[in-house]
Amino acid sequence: MNNIVTATLVYDRRTLPFRTEFSLAGTRCLLSTNSHHILRLSMPWQYVLNGCGTDFLQMKIIESATFESDAPALPHFRGLGHLVFAMLGSRGFFNFDLLRRRAIGLLSPAAARDAHFWNTQLLPITIGLLGTTVGVAPLHCACLDRDGSGLLVAGSSGAGKSTLTVALAKRGFAVVSDDWTYVRCQADKLLAHGMFAPVKLLPDSIRYFPELRHAVPKKTMNGEIAHEVDPTKLFRSKVKAQSDPKWVFILERTRVAGCSFVPCRPENLAQLFEKNAEKLPQELPEAIHLRSGIIRQLSACDCWVLRTGEDPMQTAAAIDTFLSEM
Amino acid sequence: MPLDSANYQDPLDLLRRFIPTPYRTRFRIGGALVVVETNDFALLPELPLETVLNESFPSNLSWKLVRDHDEHGLLQEPSHLICGGLTVVAMGAACLLGVDRERGELLGFIGAEIDPRTFQESLVPLLCRLSLEAMETNAEEWFDGWNEEAADA
Repeated sequence: MNNIVTATLVYDRRTLPFRTEFSLAGTRCLLSTNSHHILRLSMPWQYVLNGCGTDFLQMKIIESATFESDAPALPHFRGLGHLVFAMLGSRGFFNFDLLRRRAIGLLSPAAARDAHFWNTQLLPITIGLLGTTVGVAPLHCACLDRDGSGLLVAGSSGAGKSTLTVALAKRGFAVVSDDWTYVRCQADKLLAHGMFAPVKLLPDSIRYFPELRHAVPKKTMNGEIAHEVDPTKLFRSKVKAQSDPKWVFILERTRVAGCSFVPCRPENLAQLFEKNAEKLPQELPEAIHLRSGIIRQLSACDCWVLRTGEDPMQTAAAIDTFLSEM
Repeated sequence: MPLDSANYQDPLDLLRRFIPTPYRTRFRIGGALVVVETNDFALLPELPLETVLNESFPSNLSWKLVRDHDEHGLLQEPSHLICGGLTVVAMGAACLLGVDRERGELLGFIGAEIDPRTFQESLVPLLCRLSLEAMETNAEEWFDGWNEEAADA
């Protein structure tokens, strides 16, 4: 029990004097904190508040100089019932209360000044865990935008979603998200949101993207060694915050050369998204219902299983041609 | 082999929410009836058992304690986070606790390296203290906290 200072933190109006609101995947998020550094981190997310619905999440964050932990550097998540615990290494500790739609947390001074951590880890974690309680379904897929229409790329881990995302971006598609897409239903219309998270490419992606030759892979949040790249900087790609989902491709690798597009039935697409979503506890019937509703609505999109034996650039070209001929 | 090892491989339960907790007991602390369920016999507290096994008599508090066989850290000094009716205690990843006073629940993960003696001598007193605090919350303070949250919203 060394290197740790005991802390008792009470989250109330007195200890959290600074307040603001911002938008997280189309959801209003009320932030209270004791730290003007944390307040400042939220500012870039305040610009789309007008499009938010009436539901809201709460984040209550205390920056504490006493927080010091020798907890493992990789984030550690555990959940029971409506509570989820997140140890964020030396950066802090959070609890997510899915019944009260609230995150309370403790951040080290370094983490409270770290915009990269805030944008690429803390906010995606928050909407990933609390989103289902406010009608935002976190789905394991990439999303790109082609002239205002959204294209979701689903598939199992290792199928090549991220390399295909970059290949499509290099053809002019705008990147909305790479690994996780947050789909929200507002006024009977689905919107797929991204979180401006970096694109994660495995080290062997360098065979397709020579731009990676100067990039250094590092250990990512889930322990994988990968390049985490900002597509706007490395590939000069366009990015968008959201898109209107129209098409879904379920990516499958095959040894057979060429690309084939096999129509997929709505019920099979719904089953795939349900199967790949984190199980929710019985304490959250409304969240289960909301998520299933979004998945059902999304499964009405045109969907194909895309079997490809080609490299990502050729597969992206095949998708582009396929969509142009529709 | 731990009872729940199969669940650890389930990609749909990355948070370990659905680990079965088949061991159950009931005991009293103060005047309160507490029901404990866990996946590890060693996490049943060595406290005087409630001998009146009337399942229809409601408990005041339920504990759900999960032995986290994948977490091998040791206990660290606790951080207590208190927000309205919820108290969260983290002692590193080896001990994560949440006490929801409104729902009468204490939920927690205990790491693999926390031996039975440490659990009984260090953690059970903490769990009992948290439980008593949860049940003895001053009603006025509780409603103040609740009203404040409503005002925040």
